[in-house]
Amino acid sequence: MFGGPKIKLDKDLFDRVSRIAKISGYATVDEFVVHVLEKELAALEDGGSDEEIKKKLEGLGYIS
Amino acid sequence: MKTRVRLALSFCIAGALAAAVLLGSGCADKPKRLRNARSVVILGIDGMDPILLDTFMAKGRMPHFAKLMQEGSYSTLTTSTPPQSPVAWSNFITGMNPGGHGIFDFIHCDHTNYMPMFSAALVESPKKTMTIGRYVIPLSAGRVELLRRGEAFWQILDQKDVPYLIFKIPSNFPPVECKGMSVSGMGTPDILGTYGTFSFFTDDPSFASMDISGGEVIPVTIENNRIHTALIGPDNTLIKENPALERPFTVSIDPENKTATIAIGQETILLQEGDWTGWIKVEFDVLGPLKKISGITRFYLKALSPHFMLYAAAININPADPALPVSTPPGYASELYDKVGYYGTKGMPEDTKALEWGVFDDREFIEQADFVLDETLRTLDAILRDYTGGLLFYYFSTLDQTTHMLWRDFDPNHPAHTADSGPFMYQTEEYYARIDSVVGAVQRRIPKDAVFIAMSDHGFAPYYWKFNLNTWLYENGFMSVLDPSDITGQPLFRNVFWRRTRAFGLGINGLYINLRGRDAEGVVKPGEEYDALVEEIRAKLLAYRDPATGLPVVKEVYRREDVYQGDEVNNAPDLIVGYHRGYRCSDESALGEFSNEIITPNLSKWTGDHCMATDVVPGIIAANRPLLVKDPALTDIAATVLHLYGVERPKHMIGRPLFE
Repeated sequence: MFGGPKIKLDKDLFDRVSRIAKISGYATVDEFVVHVLEKELAALEDGGSDEEIKKKLEGLGYIS
Repeated sequence: MKTRVRLALSFCIAGALAAAVLLGSGCADKPKRLRNARSVVILGIDGMDPILLDTFMAKGRMPHFAKLMQEGSYSTLTTSTPPQSPVAWSNFITGMNPGGHGIFDFIHCDHTNYMPMFSAALVESPKKTMTIGRYVIPLSAGRVELLRRGEAFWQILDQKDVPYLIFKIPSNFPPVECKGMSVSGMGTPDILGTYGTFSFFTDDPSFASMDISGGEVIPVTIENNRIHTALIGPDNTLIKENPALERPFTVSIDPENKTATIAIGQETILLQEGDWTGWIKVEFDVLGPLKKISGITRFYLKALSPHFMLYAAAININPADPALPVSTPPGYASELYDKVGYYGTKGMPEDTKALEWGVFDDREFIEQADFVLDETLRTLDAILRDYTGGLLFYYFSTLDQTTHMLWRDFDPNHPAHTADSGPFMYQTEEYYARIDSVVGAVQRRIPKDAVFIAMSDHGFAPYYWKFNLNTWLYENGFMSVLDPSDITGQPLFRNVFWRRTRAFGLGINGLYINLRGRDAEGVVKPGEEYDALVEEIRAKLLAYRDPATGLPVVKEVYRREDVYQGDEVNNAPDLIVGYHRGYRCSDESALGEFSNEIITPNLSKWTGDHCMATDVVPGIIAANRPLLVKDPALTDIAATVLHLYGVERPKHMIGRPLFE
């Protein structure tokens, strides 16, 4: 799972990431980072259609 | 993700063929006209509330309902769980509850990715296409599918060749295959494939920066008293990059006489400030002159100064030449057009969004709602002229849509009630009185031995406070987030950490367990863990009190297996939240978003609602003959109609006959 290229983070960012990963209950910092990146990529790749869905559903008077 | 929501233009082009394919050979037969057969007339008055009805009856404003009460019958009518229109009307249509017909909310959950889906209908682009230069030619029809399961009661009437017209019943788009006449209602999209997108042309910069739902603000510039702009049509999926189709038009302003002339297509229309047009046909060139697609819209010239403001209604599917199936048989929509002229086809005709965003004020909203009601009555008049028997179901949207928006005007307790509410305090009462006069007028025009029923799918309650279910779940440890520093501003669960989330809210009444084996990142095991979690959430929700008022927020938390029966139960939300009068799920929570506070006051214009607990908002039923049961329910109507026509009730229908 983590055998690919490595990415460098500066210390401050790494500390912040470690703190959030711990609070959120991730087993490791790596698990948290991969999860966040996967989510972000999915949002970018599908973000257009997600926004389309949201806008269409907001077109229902029941939801502003 | 599959873009289920886009209206495929290429489907529209294949629409006539596709409609024939979808609707099947049954519609090649001539429809059974409303000829001499037992006469049963049902007026479906969406949202008529028993408390409001009783109040106005006591004031003497509802004499025809009072007469039915004295000489026939009147009762509350148990609504659906939850009491949302697509759910309720599906109960009515099928005689089943949501466990049978599969419509649980306006919004369902795609368990593969936690995304919301519109529950009623699916519109998909053709899967097979061929690209020639800049053109993308469909090789297969697209798909428009009604997602409601189960037979409609009128399809069962076909067994005995009973003639019928089902006019604008919700939850029937596209209209189901049948031998009779029907026109689709709530759920029918506009030409863009949305549930209504108005256009607002203005040079007022305060509107230009607004990100609104249900409409588009189109900035314009005025040069030499002329504006060149365009109505936006559907995406042209026959062209690469799918550009949106446009219908250009110009506006010539005469500032001295305070008029504006709109030139669009073949039409030239002179308007003064405050003028509405009638329906105008709008054509979009799909393949140059070879293929056009048409819709209908109305313009309203709101203002010429200090800023130019021109409203155009959502472009409805043209009933004279429908791009999507809106009637059975397919030709009935245009046949009706031949009798009454253009009529709206969009499922929710009143433009509540224009009021919500300040494009309309209350007076303008009422004007538009009056137009809808006048058109509804004109069409009813034309239908009754030909009516000599058979089943006629006729739908009214007026009370539902106007009570949603105008509750704050007559309820001084509402946080959105203001000094501006005064002139409109009695508008809801006026609409009830108009509907009452229709009840009288229709009874005078139908055979004396006709069975006449007036009913509603649910009642109404004030919507004072918004409850963010997802924030409540988060604060009670049932949901987890990626970034706890700011939980807001991220819709569609973008901030959710699914592997630590055990339950989530989606839709207006839905609460789902994040279930292993069903959900993409499900964590709760079926069986004991699931049952214990469900009971824990139920108990805590029922015990929760609004910190500001001390009042309970949630009246009922229904387990799906306790309230639903049928093949679709396992597709339901695990829990259905039934709110107390005054409370409803917030907009943010319904679409997977958090807010900072669990409860916020509802300061929107949408101030009456019915998505509460089932027994908070019953509907009504009144008829010109006695009721056979003391506790009638929506699910009884289908069984009643079949009984009246001597058709055997299928075993899956749970209802009982209400009248002889």
